[in-house]
Amino acid sequence: MSAPATSRFAQFKLVLLGESAVGKSSIVHRFVKNTFDELRESTIGAAFLTQTITIPETDTTIKFEIWDTAGQERYKSLAPMYYRNANAALCVYDITSRVSFNRAQDWIKELRKQAPEGIVIALVGNKSDLSDNREVELSEVEEYVEQYNSEATGGGSTIIIAECSAKTGDGVLEVFNRIGRALPVEEAINAAGGRARQAGGRRAGGVDLNRPRAQAQQGGSCC
Amino acid sequence: MATTQSTNSEEAPITPKKSSMLLDPNEYNKSDNAANSHQRNDSSYSRNFSLIDMYGEEAASSPTGPDSNDHGSTSDEQLDYQMLQSLDEFSFGEISTDHNVSQQTITQIRDTPTPQPPQHDEDDDDEDRLEIRQQYVIPTSMGNETKILNSPFDRYGFRKSSTHHGFTLEEYNDWFKEYSEYSYRRKKKWELLMKSHGLPIQEDDPVPTRFPPKSDKVKKMIRKGIPPEWRGNAWFFYAGGYDKLNRNAGVYHQIVENTKNIHNKDTEVIERDLHRTFPDNIYFNESIDANGNTLTVPLHSKETPLIKSLRRVLIAFAHYQPQIGYCQSLNFLAGLLLLFMEEERAFWMLVILTERIIPKVHSADLEGVHTDQGVLMLCVKEYIPQLWSILGTTFEGERLSDDQILSKLPPVTLVTSSWFMSLFVGIMPTETTLRIWDILWCEGSKTVFRFSLTILKLCLDNPEFDGAKHSPGGEADQIELFQFVQNFPKKILDCSNLVDLCFKKIGGYGFGSLSQDEINKCREFVSKQREMMNYKRRLSTKMTSEERYTLMNSSDGQLDGNNDIHDVYGFHRPIMGGVVWNRSISNKMKKTFAKRNSSRSST
Repeated sequence: MSAPATSRFAQFKLVLLGESAVGKSSIVHRFVKNTFDELRESTIGAAFLTQTITIPETDTTIKFEIWDTAGQERYKSLAPMYYRNANAALCVYDITSRVSFNRAQDWIKELRKQAPEGIVIALVGNKSDLSDNREVELSEVEEYVEQYNSEATGGGSTIIIAECSAKTGDGVLEVFNRIGRALPVEEAINAAGGRARQAGGRRAGGVDLNRPRAQAQQGGSCC
Repeated sequence: MATTQSTNSEEAPITPKKSSMLLDPNEYNKSDNAANSHQRNDSSYSRNFSLIDMYGEEAASSPTGPDSNDHGSTSDEQLDYQMLQSLDEFSFGEISTDHNVSQQTITQIRDTPTPQPPQHDEDDDDEDRLEIRQQYVIPTSMGNETKILNSPFDRYGFRKSSTHHGFTLEEYNDWFKEYSEYSYRRKKKWELLMKSHGLPIQEDDPVPTRFPPKSDKVKKMIRKGIPPEWRGNAWFFYAGGYDKLNRNAGVYHQIVENTKNIHNKDTEVIERDLHRTFPDNIYFNESIDANGNTLTVPLHSKETPLIKSLRRVLIAFAHYQPQIGYCQSLNFLAGLLLLFMEEERAFWMLVILTERIIPKVHSADLEGVHTDQGVLMLCVKEYIPQLWSILGTTFEGERLSDDQILSKLPPVTLVTSSWFMSLFVGIMPTETTLRIWDILWCEGSKTVFRFSLTILKLCLDNPEFDGAKHSPGGEADQIELFQFVQNFPKKILDCSNLVDLCFKKIGGYGFGSLSQDEINKCREFVSKQREMMNYKRRLSTKMTSEERYTLMNSSDGQLDGNNDIHDVYGFHRPIMGGVVWNRSISNKMKKTFAKRNSSRSST
């Protein structure tokens, strides 16, 4: 099934960050290929995938360039390369691990300090199917975000909160849809008129009628 | 302890020819430290490693070491001689080996079942360690090849094909049908080689522990592939494992004993990675049954012996090399080693790898990754300029000027970094990785660069690469390029062709001319430049913007130039030098090849 043709197209870079083994790659594979492996090999360095979504209300196709990263702490020295020019960041934690939630908070702090202004941040708790072993309550995540938003200086956008399960697929697509709606599509399309990159270092795609067709075909069975 | 002793005494007389590499005084100092290092406490986890020392080791060994009689350093006359030699082999080799196949002896066929989940004792770690190691690799023999062909798993217990692979099961089997015959012919050749060096293969002990010393002939044999079931012993022998083991008798088991119940950050990450190491391999994943179905038993309910070995090796290694600790990707390196050798040996191979072959690549700051990526990019610029014109950009898509290569590594290094960290494990099909490992353990780190360049050149030469290169808007779409470079190696099943492309000067890319000496010099250059750059950056973080400006524009000797460091490195040897120098000879050779090919195919 190819996506319905839309009149607008924009491309955004999204980076996944978070403690190792929280399920970053699994979320991406659920989103891109709709598959899940109980055991997935640890990601070394980075992995790159793309997927497009359509947002019917605004008649827009959004192509995500997904930069999936390795979770181990020492890879942090490579992280600036990942989130440079990123339009969105998915900070993932495992709802059964408090440590991983703390780590996700560290990432948010770092992003607020280092990442491009206006980056859309989503704080996502994975493994919602394991809620029997839950260590992180949604209410405390809300509390954290509320406090964070009130402390944040400047007009940074608010953090999107969500829970999902890459295993069952629950909530995964929704996360990306919500990010897609929060992304500055207008701005990107306008900026793309002349050149594809904005002064602030953010990059965005252009309006191209040929493109969604080509992408939709690639999205299904990405090599 | 008793087992360690006996193993050592068995192997002691087989100490390989001592090369200067093994006698390097730095090595001695290190291992002396190392022998005591299991007594270190947390406070000794200092990171005062000198890059130059690290690279010095390989550099020091190469002028006189076994690497020096390399294709890269041979004179042009020798090259021509080698070409003629390879022609000889080309015309007669194939015929004589076919003959060999028909005369195969039944004795070589050992009855080996299709891979089955190994039987093992539960919960008793000591038991596991002392028990006689199971042979995980199915030996090369005509009978076994058919069994492998009909199994969902390959010779090493990996699922032949899955969604992660770049090929289908049918494609694998088609390739394997031909390749298994090739493997069989190569094994016969190895047996002849062994015999000619007075090391005949005994029927009751078909896997040799001693091998002929390094020579041009041996190197050529290794490049064509070591018999799969000999690999563990051959790698260990050629990498200098016996030397390392003999000088550290008992050390590994002592560390294992001392680290039995430790819990720290490293062990935490290790635990999370154990079951994420080769989940597609029957010897690592307990929940795969012999038919290839994944059973729905509760996860981690049982551990295979290899998972237990992997845990011990990784924890011991993290303890022995505290400046590295545990780094994701070591699990794949150790895991692959464990399929081929017992854990003590796998441990020392990991030590050799991280000390000598790819130093600092796994260290806490991953400095070696940055260094080696800098070297690789300089090589791409020098030897594949066409590709550099595409890849040599910043994240913003702007062209990198010559003096920015090291300070702003091009984004494609995010893909190629993992090639160095996991040494192609998981990046390429298993047999392809193993063929590179055969060469790597014998020839050293230049192998990683040579094959990285070969893969990149193959990407460039692939028609689909053009499609990925140009987005409809005309601007190079980086993510499409990354995906291409990331996924392309997964499809390289034809490993013999890859090796030929890498080394052959005619009909190949001739990257065999990239010498270890060149790599060492370039590594040293890059690491110095990076040191300088990092020094400036460190300084500048504590400064006011004005001071920073002054520093960055300072032109005193030590902090030479501007903010961007000096990146112009002069390579000494043009890769295709031989062929360019004598084009008429190469054309003649090509014609001869073509003629022979056509006459062969018509018969």
